[in-house]
Amino acid sequence: MSQLVCFSSQPQLREPALVVGWRVDAGELGTRVTDYLIRKLGGQPFCSIEPVEFFPLGGVAIENDLVQFPETRFYACPESDLVVLQSTPPSYEWYRFLNLVLDVAQHCQVKELYTVGGMVALGAHTTPRQLWGTPNSPELKRTLSQYQITRDLNYETPPGQRPTISSFLSWTAKRRNIPAANLWVPIPFYLLPVTDPRAQKKVLEFLNLRLGLHLDLSDLDEAIRQQTEKLDRMRTSYPDIDRSISRLENNIGLSEEENQRLVRQVEEFLREKGD
Amino acid sequence: MGARLYLEPELNQPDMLVGWPGIGNIGLITMDTLRQELGAELLGEIEPWDFFYPTKVRIRNGVLDSMEFPANRFYYKRLAHKDLLFFIGEEQPSGRGGPYAEGNRAYEMANLVLNVAEKFGSRRVYTSGAAVALTHHALKPRVWAVATTERLLAEVKSQANTIPMSQVEGRGGQGNITGLNGLLIGVAKKRGLEGICLMGEIPDYLSRVPFPYPKASQSVVEVLSGILRVSVDLSVLQDLASQMEEVIENMYRQFPAEIRERLEQRRQVPQPGSAITEEDEKWIKEHIDEFFKKGDRGV
Repeated sequence: MSQLVCFSSQPQLREPALVVGWRVDAGELGTRVTDYLIRKLGGQPFCSIEPVEFFPLGGVAIENDLVQFPETRFYACPESDLVVLQSTPPSYEWYRFLNLVLDVAQHCQVKELYTVGGMVALGAHTTPRQLWGTPNSPELKRTLSQYQITRDLNYETPPGQRPTISSFLSWTAKRRNIPAANLWVPIPFYLLPVTDPRAQKKVLEFLNLRLGLHLDLSDLDEAIRQQTEKLDRMRTSYPDIDRSISRLENNIGLSEEENQRLVRQVEEFLREKGD
Repeated sequence: MGARLYLEPELNQPDMLVGWPGIGNIGLITMDTLRQELGAELLGEIEPWDFFYPTKVRIRNGVLDSMEFPANRFYYKRLAHKDLLFFIGEEQPSGRGGPYAEGNRAYEMANLVLNVAEKFGSRRVYTSGAAVALTHHALKPRVWAVATTERLLAEVKSQANTIPMSQVEGRGGQGNITGLNGLLIGVAKKRGLEGICLMGEIPDYLSRVPFPYPKASQSVVEVLSGILRVSVDLSVLQDLASQMEEVIENMYRQFPAEIRERLEQRRQVPQPGSAITEEDEKWIKEHIDEFFKKGDRGV
C-alpha cells in the first residue's frame, strides 16, 4: 500500500459496499448523502489519502470565512458492513489517485462500489425525482435492474465537456474487476444552491434496499414536507415565482435571465426561512 | 504505464518528429501535416491514463463501456534515403493544471517518446513550436531554430527563411521553450541524441487568441521538408492558412485605430522594440471573446 494512504485503524468488515460522495457536486448531493450515512450509521474515520501529490497546496482556499482544505477520508460503519468515502476531487494525477481509492477498497474487500452525484435538471421541484444508475458491467446491470434504476441509455460526453470523476472512478474500477455503478439524481436547478431532500431520499431509499441498511428515513420525509410548505408559501406570496415554476411544470423553458432570477429568489427565500 | 507498439518494423536510422499542442498549435499542425502528407502508418501509442483526464465516456445500453483519452500516437514512414518516426500528442500532460507540461509527468512522457525513438535506432529528434515575435500577420513567418550542438545548428540555419534564436532582434541570445516541445530536446541532449526545435513566428497580438496559426506551420514544414529532403504537398495547409487569414483580418479591422497604426509599422519588416503596449495587450485580451461570439467570425 502506498505511503500516501494512512490507516488509523482496521475496522472489522466482511464484504462491505463502498459509497463515494465528492465534495464538489451539483446540489452537494454526494456530500449530503454520505454525511447522512455517516451520521445515521455511526461511521468512524479509519483511513485517509494524503493530499500532497493530488492537490495544489500553494495556500489555502477560504469560503465564507472558513478554511477549505482538500480531504479524502474513509469512514467505516461495521454494523452495516459499509465503507463511506468523502473526498475532494483531485486536481491532477487522477488515475493514480483513483487507484489509491481502489487499493483501500480492495484492502477492505469491498464487493461493490457506488458513487452518488447530482445532475442539473431544468424541470420543476414538483416533478418526482428519478434515480439513474450506470453500472460498469452488464452483470451489475442485470443485478440492479430489479431496482428499476438502469436504462438502455446510449451516451457520449459532448464535445467541449469532460467526463465526471465518478465515471473515471467507475471505469478504473472496471479495469480492476470491481463492480461499480454511478448513481445520479436530476435536481431542479433552482434547488442547487440550497438542498434537495427529495433527491437525497431517492438515493438513500435505493441504498437502504440494496445494502440492507435498515435506515429510518422519516427525518427526510419531514425535511421534504417542510421544504414543500415553504415553496408553496413562496408561490402564494410571489406571483412571478409561481408563474415561472408553473411554466416549468408545463415543460415551458425559461429564459436565462428568468432562470437566474428564480434561482436567486428561491435561495433568498429558503435561506431566510432557515432552509 | 508505457508505450504500446502494434508493430515492430525494421527502420533505417529514423529521425523522429514530435508535435504537441501549444501557441497557435504551430508545432502540432507542422508535424501532423508532414505525417499525413507522407502517409505515415500507425505504429503504437503511449498508454494515456497516467497522464491525462479522459475526454469522453461512452455508455452503451446503460453500461459504462469505455473511456476515451487524448491520443498520443507513434507513426512511421519508410523513405528511400532515411526513415521517419512521428509522435503526435493531442494534449500535453498537465502536471499542475496549466496548459503546458511540467514536472515528473512531462519528464516521464519525454523519456517514453525517446525510448521508442532509440528502440528503432533514431539518433535525431525534431520538435516544433511557436516563436512569439514582433511581426505582422501579413508577413511570411520566419523559423527560429535551436539545436543541441553547434554543428547541428549550422546545418539547420543553412535552410532558407531560418534564423538561429540568438540572431533574433532584441533577444540577447536568451530564450525559453515552454512545455514538451522544449523539454523533449533537453532530454534528448541528456541522452546524447541530436535535437532540433523549429519555431514558426506568430505575431505577439495573436499569441493568446484561441485559434491555430497555420501560416507559421507552413513556414516550418517548408524548412523541415528541406532538411529531410522530402516533397510535401502544402495545398491543404495553404487553404487552412487562407481561411485563418480572413478570420485574422476581420479581427484586425476591429482593433482600435491607434493599435492598428502601431502594428502597421511592422508590415515591412519585423521591428525590434515595437512590442504591443500593455494597454494594447489588455484591450486585445478583453475583446478576444467578442470576436468569436459573432457567428460569421467563428472558427
